[in-house]
Amino acid sequence: MRILLLAAAAFALAACASVAPYQRGYLARPDMAFEPSAGTAEALGKTYSAKEAASGGASVGGGGCGCN
Amino acid sequence: MAATERESSALAGLLQAALALPILVVPARAGAATVGEVGFTLLGYKEQGLMKITEPIIWGDAVIDEKWELSASGAIDIITGASPQLVSNATGKPVQTITGASISDRRRTYNVKVGRRFGDFTFSASRAHSEEEDYISHAFGLEARWDLNQKLTTLTAGYGKSNDRVRSSDNPALDEPRYTDEYLFGITQVLSPVAIIQSSLRYARGQGDYNDPYKLTLTFYPDAPPAFLPDTRPASRDTWAWTTRYRRHFPSPDATLQVDYRYYHDDWGIDAHTLEGAWQFPVAEHYALRPALRYYTQSAADFYSPTIPRPTPAILSSDQRLSAFGGLSPSLRLIYRNESGLTVEGTAGYVYNARTLHFGGGGNEAFETLRAYYGLVSVSHAF
Repeated sequence: MRILLLAAAAFALAACASVAPYQRGYLARPDMAFEPSAGTAEALGKTYSAKEAASGGASVGGGGCGCN
Repeated sequence: MAATERESSALAGLLQAALALPILVVPARAGAATVGEVGFTLLGYKEQGLMKITEPIIWGDAVIDEKWELSASGAIDIITGASPQLVSNATGKPVQTITGASISDRRRTYNVKVGRRFGDFTFSASRAHSEEEDYISHAFGLEARWDLNQKLTTLTAGYGKSNDRVRSSDNPALDEPRYTDEYLFGITQVLSPVAIIQSSLRYARGQGDYNDPYKLTLTFYPDAPPAFLPDTRPASRDTWAWTTRYRRHFPSPDATLQVDYRYYHDDWGIDAHTLEGAWQFPVAEHYALRPALRYYTQSAADFYSPTIPRPTPAILSSDQRLSAFGGLSPSLRLIYRNESGLTVEGTAGYVYNARTLHFGGGGNEAFETLRAYYGLVSVSHAF
């Protein structure tokens, strides 16, 4: 599964085309952001990590919690 | 005429934000020295028969003179209810039971991040603090970003460190350290005018006290006296998290596909996969809906056991969060956004964790199904 995902990511990167600045309007839409609003991201991230063994995402320095 | 001006202004703002991609995600207005957003979010979370959490969060971010990036948030978790403490096989099979008084705790947390742009490079530093009765965390982070390829590609490197103290409401003498070093490498790539992808690898090495001071295991044997063990875990934990996020907009239905995948691995023997997909589409002028489905599955830690085997091992935990299980979480979000920069979001979600949802079957028998509901309301304003 990991190999398939790596291959898909490599293919996607290889397939990317040049996009001029004036063509990036859609990319600036809020629904294209990787995180929802900061408050929503913080609330949901902690809710799930308190009930699962896995944690960590695309940032560092967030600190820990007891979450017992 | 006024409508035309608003549209023109909105278009100019969109273009300015687009020029700053893929880094800048705060809404922008053309010509403004400072752009950003402030917001308030309220979370309500309720587990069936267990905990209830209420969490108000205030947050904001801003870019000043296109050079400085600031973001900050503060939150209070208000936790009430009960948490499973003892796993016992007194009834014949291991089940978790709740002992002692119900929990009532408050966790206060804040974080601040400041960044400075130097051409194609941005350097930022962050500070986070979290404090509750039985846990204190001080953390900081350093991050460097490099925009290249006409801002179609962004490389990110980060380092974070947290110095935590593990305490217990039941044992005032407990005050043990836990240190974590984190390293992050990421790439963000614009794939087309309507598609973007981000992939990040985070490695964290932690050392210190990982025991849960509230978890206990009691095991009865048919031919020997019962054994009783507090939760005892390794004194270190190395974790890997590989997160990939993909966004694809479809202009014709004006809808956006959002897909996130995370692979997690640690040296406790846990492998976990998280896959979330969402589809956001307009339902009326200013309104959009976002149905989403999140699937999670994990294997068990090497030292997880709901009963105490013989001979008694040096490390053992019956905490079912370290067992093999899976979870499904559907959610629905309604979004209102107008031209003045006001955004109001309401999200309703359901969490269902069960052993039967472990990918490929084979979830731990002792895992007790978790059912929880949550609601989120978020109000923000861009300036």
